Amino acid sequence: MPAGLSVGGALGDPSPSHPFRPSRYVPVSAATAFLVGATTLFLCFTCPWLAERFSSSIPLYNTVVFLFTLANFCMATFMDPGIFPRAEEDEDKEDDFRAPLYKTVEVRGIQVRMKWCSTCRFYRPPRCSHCSVCDNCVEEFDHHCPWVNNCIGRRNYRYFFLFLLSLTTHIMGVFGFSLLYILNHTKQLDEVHSGVTMAVMCIAGLFFVPVAGLTGFHIVLVARGRTTNEQVTGKFRGGVNPFTHGCCKNVSHVLCSSQAPRYVGRLRGSKSLQVQPPFLRPQLSEAQLAAKVLDNGIQQSKSSLEAMESQSTDADPPPPPKPEHRYQGLPHTHNEESSLLTEAPPTPSLYKYRPAYSSPGKNHTALTHSSKMTRGDSMTESPSIPLSTGHPSYRSDPSLSGRGGAGWRSGGGGEGGRAGSGGLGGASVLGGRSYPSFTDTLLQSAAASCSSSIRSAHTAHNALGPLLSEGTTSTSYKSLANQTRNGSLSYDSLLTPSESPEFESAAHELSPPRPQAPSSLGTAPLMGYSSPFLSAQQREGSLQACPAPLRPSSNRAFLRPTSPPPSRAPPPLSPRARSLGSPPPGPAPGNTPLGKSLSYTGGAALQQRPTNTGGGTSMPNSTSRQSLANHSTHAHKPGGGVKKVSGVGGTTYEISV
Amino acid sequence: MATEFHNLQELRHSASLANKVFIQRDYSEGTVCKFQTKFPSELDSRIEKTLFEDTVKTLNNYYAEAEKIGGHSYLEGCLACITAYLIFLCMETRYEKVLKKISRYIQEQNEKIYAPRGLLITDPIERGMRVIEISIYEDRGSSGSSSGSSTTSSSGR
Repeated sequence: MPAGLSVGGALGDPSPSHPFRPSRYVPVSAATAFLVGATTLFLCFTCPWLAERFSSSIPLYNTVVFLFTLANFCMATFMDPGIFPRAEEDEDKEDDFRAPLYKTVEVRGIQVRMKWCSTCRFYRPPRCSHCSVCDNCVEEFDHHCPWVNNCIGRRNYRYFFLFLLSLTTHIMGVFGFSLLYILNHTKQLDEVHSGVTMAVMCIAGLFFVPVAGLTGFHIVLVARGRTTNEQVTGKFRGGVNPFTHGCCKNVSHVLCSSQAPRYVGRLRGSKSLQVQPPFLRPQLSEAQLAAKVLDNGIQQSKSSLEAMESQSTDADPPPPPKPEHRYQGLPHTHNEESSLLTEAPPTPSLYKYRPAYSSPGKNHTALTHSSKMTRGDSMTESPSIPLSTGHPSYRSDPSLSGRGGAGWRSGGGGEGGRAGSGGLGGASVLGGRSYPSFTDTLLQSAAASCSSSIRSAHTAHNALGPLLSEGTTSTSYKSLANQTRNGSLSYDSLLTPSESPEFESAAHELSPPRPQAPSSLGTAPLMGYSSPFLSAQQREGSLQACPAPLRPSSNRAFLRPTSPPPSRAPPPLSPRARSLGSPPPGPAPGNTPLGKSLSYTGGAALQQRPTNTGGGTSMPNSTSRQSLANHSTHAHKPGGGVKKVSGVGGTTYEISV
Repeated sequence: MATEFHNLQELRHSASLANKVFIQRDYSEGTVCKFQTKFPSELDSRIEKTLFEDTVKTLNNYYAEAEKIGGHSYLEGCLACITAYLIFLCMETRYEKVLKKISRYIQEQNEKIYAPRGLLITDPIERGMRVIEISIYEDRGSSGSSSGSSTTSSSGR
């Protein structure tokens, strides 16, 4: 079987967590039965007379059309519609905790929004949509067709379209020739042959209206260069469609383009290349060298940690080597961890709660930095806030942490994510838009350390406020969508560590297949997942018990817990991962005692939930999300209901209103 | 003696994965497969800008060639229709052929240009053609050898 054909939706599921649901196969079985059965009856009972009375080309024609219809039906049913494989963990490390739910991209002059998919863990490319039935993101998603029990997407839209055309033709042919037969046998209607022919006529006539309607609908869509999803959700209503190239080109794109390749289930080339040092380095031009000298280390570049030294005027030892913790199996990270543990002075509990939002490297440098700072280096020696640049650099964070303690260095680090994301969460946090508790924590930590430096950090963060609007079309964040209210809650947990186990249990409630009692929190880190909500003791225990290489996954856990496929190991992401991103309904984390952040869960749930348009079935927990909508204060979409619209041919579409 | 042994071991260089850069798709011309040629800052000190841009531009050209709608793809479509798509069992589609070319090109680029610089390009098809993933490796051996040599020097006193 070449790469072109694959067992797609009808028989197999790329997302292995899908249970077997026989009800999914009823429409496709019925369709197959009607098509094959009726045609066979027609060919056996009606065609012989037609062949001898008129011409033998009639059965031949009908057979050819029937086979063509069947072939397209099979291709539409079994072909992979263009499913995107789940993104690797490393891919979203660039997007920080406060990265926005939507990313805007310009397509031929028109702004198109790309939404973060919490299940698949990437920003959905334009025209891509997540099918709730198949639980996959599909490229150029058209709709999920129950009659073929498969999504219709980029790869199989052509076959679906041709199936509709050929089926319409076939029905018309069968009906017409059956009518011809009946009209010539009006005196022999009690015969078996006539009876069968009349039955076939009835079936054909019955199916003709919806099929022809659907065919006409898709002819219009193809001509306009739209997908069913776009048409039904009214994306380009009154606007310009950036994906159209004119009628002729649209038609040729659908019918004449080369078969698009499959993404899942490809044979991987087993060529492994050895990367051996020493490595070549490019020659730096004089201008570049001059730029580095003048730079003062205020750069966005994550690659050179050496510049971090320049930020602190105290004589610090060189920072630890570059972060490699997110990649497992690297023994020397373990050494770093243990070295940090031995070095860490007895700091107040505030410093121990460093939710690992940003990369572990950042954390470790900060920890080293802060630990060294608190050991007796004067905190007032810290330079002025390097946040004067347009981009909040993670490099600024150690200086912040030096002042404010580890607890909210991570906040800074988290906020100092990609400027491009526009989700300068730090600014948003301190701008008072969300997490008011964070500001309280901030002030408290200020009391614990240099107050002057805190204030200066605060102003610096406020300076980031206007930058928040960069590129963000909504105030919702994909981390919220991914149920990582952990970020805010971590600051709560700084104040009230006792709350954390409760939250942990609530989070665990969300994941029925993975029941972990709160008491087993201590074991959770052993799986490589450490939560910011662990109490001080548990955290210490986790730091010591958990092998270092696994810790980096905790970043991912905080940042974007989603529902990974069960085949993915390690399972650490799962407790939080089975949050609202996945089907199992349950109380949203917002229902936990951490009531302050309730609204954001609601908003988050609202945000990340809805637009699985084109899904043939509605999600059972869409109503619970709607109730959460009441709590939403930052919902980008007002209301937040999910409307079901029935289209032609019996397909239903879910539209978030 | 033991120190020398330690030193020799540390001199054995090895590379470890330090970071990954993701080159995103360029959607300015629609859903045609095209990657951004913007030079990421993480690669600033690792590879020359021109080399990187050449690679990405060549890849973009390959993808454009694969997706081109012309006589070849039209014939392929007709043939497929006529044979009720059974032709796919024996014939490789145009896109797949170009993907093989791309894979060979990436392999060659890795061997010649990127691996010597401690970088590795992952074929975008493995990521659903959403990103080009470039892995950045660091020389782990160099730090070890320095500590080894310092140990030798201290013991030498």
